[in-house]
Amino acid sequence: MSAKPIRVLVVDDSALMRKVIPQILESDNSIHVVGTAIDGNFGLKKLEELRPQVVTLDLEMPGMGGLEMLKEIMRRHRVPVIVVSSHSTQGASVTLKALSLGAFDFVAKPTDVSTRMQEIARDLISKIKAAAQSRGIQIQSEIELPIPVPRSKGKPAAPKEPTRIVAVGISTGGPQSLQYMLAQFPTDFPGSIVVVQHMPEGFTEMFARRLDECCSLNVKEAQSGDLLQAGRVLICPGSRHMKVKKLPLGDIAILSDDPPVNGHRPSADVMFKSVAEEFGSKAIGLIMTGMGEDGANGLGLIKAAGGMTIAQGERSCVVFGMPKAAIERGHAMRVVDLEALSGTVQAHCRPGRAEVGKAMKAGQD
Amino acid sequence: MSQYSDERGSELRALFFETAQELLQSLNEDSLKLERNPQDREIIRSIRRTVHTLKGDSAAAGFHELSELAHTLEDALAVETPNANVSLAEIGFTAADTFGAMLVAYRQDTPLPDSNPVRVLVQQLSSSSGASDGKASKVQDDPANVVWTEYERLAAQNSRADGKKIFHVTAHIDPLCAMPIAARQLVANAVSSIAQILGSRPEPGAVVEGQKIDLLLATSHTEQAITAKCQIPTVIGKTVCTEFVVEAAAETMPEAVELIEQGPGDAKSDAEANAGRDGKALGAQTLLRVDAERIDNVLNLVGELIIAKSMMQQAIQEYARKSPKDPLRARFADAMSFQARVLNDLQRSVMKIRMVPVEQLFRRFPRMVRDTAQRCNKQVNLQVTGQDTDLDKSLLDAIAEPLTHIVRNAVSHGLESPLERQAAGKPATGTISLDAYHQANQLIVEVSDDGRGIDVDRVKAKAIRNRLVSADEAGRMTDSELLDLIFRPGFSTADEITEISGRGVGLDVVRSVLHRLKGTVELETHVGQGTKFRLKLPLTLAIIKALLFRVEQRLYAIPLNTVAEIARAKEGDLHHVDTWEVLQSRGQVLPLMRLGQKPKEDAEYGKSKLFVLVINFSGRKLGLIVDALEGEEELVIKTLDDQTIATDLVSGASILGDGRVVLIVNLPAVVDRFTSALSSTVPTGLFLADGERGTALTAGVGQ
Repeated sequence: MSAKPIRVLVVDDSALMRKVIPQILESDNSIHVVGTAIDGNFGLKKLEELRPQVVTLDLEMPGMGGLEMLKEIMRRHRVPVIVVSSHSTQGASVTLKALSLGAFDFVAKPTDVSTRMQEIARDLISKIKAAAQSRGIQIQSEIELPIPVPRSKGKPAAPKEPTRIVAVGISTGGPQSLQYMLAQFPTDFPGSIVVVQHMPEGFTEMFARRLDECCSLNVKEAQSGDLLQAGRVLICPGSRHMKVKKLPLGDIAILSDDPPVNGHRPSADVMFKSVAEEFGSKAIGLIMTGMGEDGANGLGLIKAAGGMTIAQGERSCVVFGMPKAAIERGHAMRVVDLEALSGTVQAHCRPGRAEVGKAMKAGQD
Repeated sequence: MSQYSDERGSELRALFFETAQELLQSLNEDSLKLERNPQDREIIRSIRRTVHTLKGDSAAAGFHELSELAHTLEDALAVETPNANVSLAEIGFTAADTFGAMLVAYRQDTPLPDSNPVRVLVQQLSSSSGASDGKASKVQDDPANVVWTEYERLAAQNSRADGKKIFHVTAHIDPLCAMPIAARQLVANAVSSIAQILGSRPEPGAVVEGQKIDLLLATSHTEQAITAKCQIPTVIGKTVCTEFVVEAAAETMPEAVELIEQGPGDAKSDAEANAGRDGKALGAQTLLRVDAERIDNVLNLVGELIIAKSMMQQAIQEYARKSPKDPLRARFADAMSFQARVLNDLQRSVMKIRMVPVEQLFRRFPRMVRDTAQRCNKQVNLQVTGQDTDLDKSLLDAIAEPLTHIVRNAVSHGLESPLERQAAGKPATGTISLDAYHQANQLIVEVSDDGRGIDVDRVKAKAIRNRLVSADEAGRMTDSELLDLIFRPGFSTADEITEISGRGVGLDVVRSVLHRLKGTVELETHVGQGTKFRLKLPLTLAIIKALLFRVEQRLYAIPLNTVAEIARAKEGDLHHVDTWEVLQSRGQVLPLMRLGQKPKEDAEYGKSKLFVLVINFSGRKLGLIVDALEGEEELVIKTLDDQTIATDLVSGASILGDGRVVLIVNLPAVVDRFTSALSSTVPTGLFLADGERGTALTAGVGQ
């Protein structure tokens, strides 16, 4: 680790949390909590004063709340913010709002915090380290996020069989990047998308709803038995794995409660493997921003099965971890930055293109 | 990473208990506000935020039951259209009480209290407001609510297109059947001979308990045929078969859309509300928790410094007298006055640290008044003013109980019932006001009600009945003296002790607490119009401005703010009325208390001069006869323990700059002594001093 510890500011309205979080963080030598603040107003003042590298932020505060403060940070300071969120329906909605406003990532406090303190501590510390190393969230400044407008999705025509199955594995920085990418797909996108986003239970449903709001595609949190249809995005629910299956009447998603893989549930590796097995050359594997290496090997399986594999380019990644692992292992056939991802995927999903892809693959071999 | 150690855990819990109390307090306050404005979303949000914090904190401290309950409550409060039949305020109160009881249980490691009252209310709240819950409870028997997957529905659609009929069959397994899992398999097998099974709940082969099976069937047979197939004696009881309406597989999520539409609006109003409260938040923030003992230490040191200052001052004065021409003298004086000024500021700053707004105390009253009022079926409107008045923390804690007693009394005894009030031409809702303000280095707390007032005649009758005074004495007492009787021990009697007001604290205890704090309690009442209790307290116990005087060559002090004026008189001007020595002053008769011995009545007697300190005490004016005055001084009070001094006539001592010891007179005790002496004969004075016995004082009545 670098010699200089990461300077962190803790903003939380609970006196208890202002004690607990610094304790947790300072158990790691590479993190130094430079200050705490009771609400947004004080948080911003201390931010100016102490110049932290990372901020942990509680969203539910009196006075200037978390979201307001986050907006201000994103506008003026551009310091990565990690949201410390609670586990509730309301909490999920606000947390996702925060992510779309540019929060780096979030840590969910489960109700049994005390027994899982170690786990949460690890999670928080690793996210802070990642945040300190990231160059902040680039897409925020360069790209106007689509404003959710009520739009007519139109009466979905009879469900069509998708031309290809696009499997997306994504983690830290995912919510914004995914929203950005998915919003660029047209309603008549002929492929079907399945997504594993590392996110705890309870958050994914709200996440899917938000995406559905601002995308032309149909986005929903997957349930077992959901059909993989053209123009549809299925988000794997938190705390479950998602696999796919071909059945006589159509292709479906199946959820399972198998143990975590790579420490993750959902795991991108699990989904990629199943997509590779079921769809082979019809599959497109896409590995996007995120810490760790979940999905890297699975992407290799898709490639080996004759599918197309894409990794998000370093420049546009919030954390260049998972794509890096895939690229280093030679599992990524193409490296594409966020701005071009949607176009690339669409190009590969055009009817008849699968055959071309197979031909190209055959040619390469 | 280090272990989350036990020690840290207990530290955490201690902090949790402390912060949780504050959270409960604000929960109570918000609930009260909500009771008045049940529709105020902002208050509901604030309550939810409090519960939210409580949830997070308790989870972190490892109190899962509390956290879980808070979680349930938080989710229930998130419902934006509360059920009008359930008062959210009531839930808030019940929750605050339950949380409080849970905290106590955690702290003392006793079994947790029943949380059902809260849960029942929460259930009422959510069951009638959210459609979602209603659905959940119906799910059991309504076949329409079994959710078939998209794939299954697609299969149904396709079969229908092929001309088959689609049925949803719910077969209830006979409760006596020992193997429900096998039973499900049997039904499925039986049906599969005449129909295609498109879906099954539980899924085929699933090892889950359950007394029914739901099947989605495609068949060319009739409903009756299917039902007949399902009737397997001793295995299957009732079977319900309905035609399945196939809709398009692509579903819409109206519910979801609605929720999201609410989202942005919410955030906005949240932000607005937050902006509105910023100002207040700023005022209440940047708190530092410091052990009170540390502050006391600083205060003590400041006290020593003040003594050192007066020592220095005297040394310099002496030096100036001895060598008045020395230019060094002026420089000493300058340095001295500078030091004095800084010391003054220092003292004031340190004192301020200990000062807290009385709001900390007042906060608890709204809830208490509400509860008390409900229990005695009264309608009360509590008005609180002057919350930001500062008071020494230790004093604040000390007056909490007496003040609580007075407020409770005001509700239960002071105010009349709504009917009585209306009969008397008053509004049904009574008003109790709580006010605090500073006046001449004192804190005044007033509790007034617009109730029935105290009837002097009844007080008199009761005092005589309880043998506090004889009928004869009572006849000679003024109204204010009579009213004063209610502060006497033994006035409050058993038949008055109710659950509400009689908690072992009578007004006599109120008075004695106030006296211990060098404060007073006064009473003002008008029959039919109301009663006002006025508590007067010094702002701090540590340092007082005092008037120094001498009696029998010994130095004493009394708090300066009790002194109304200083009069000079000759022995000859004094008269006797009853058992009192009195002085005619400004057209009034001033009862006197002689602290020293009465001089011999020789030839000079009538001319010998004396000083009379006119003091304000409990609304009365009294005179203290002293031998000589010494001046004003700021005294740092040192408490005296019982071994040094065996009288309550002195409340403390202080050391002057020149090393002399001054005793601080405990005025209430002195007055008491004189007042009770009234009943005995020929009292004259109080021996405060006894040169022979050093610092030990004896006190006696009479000669």
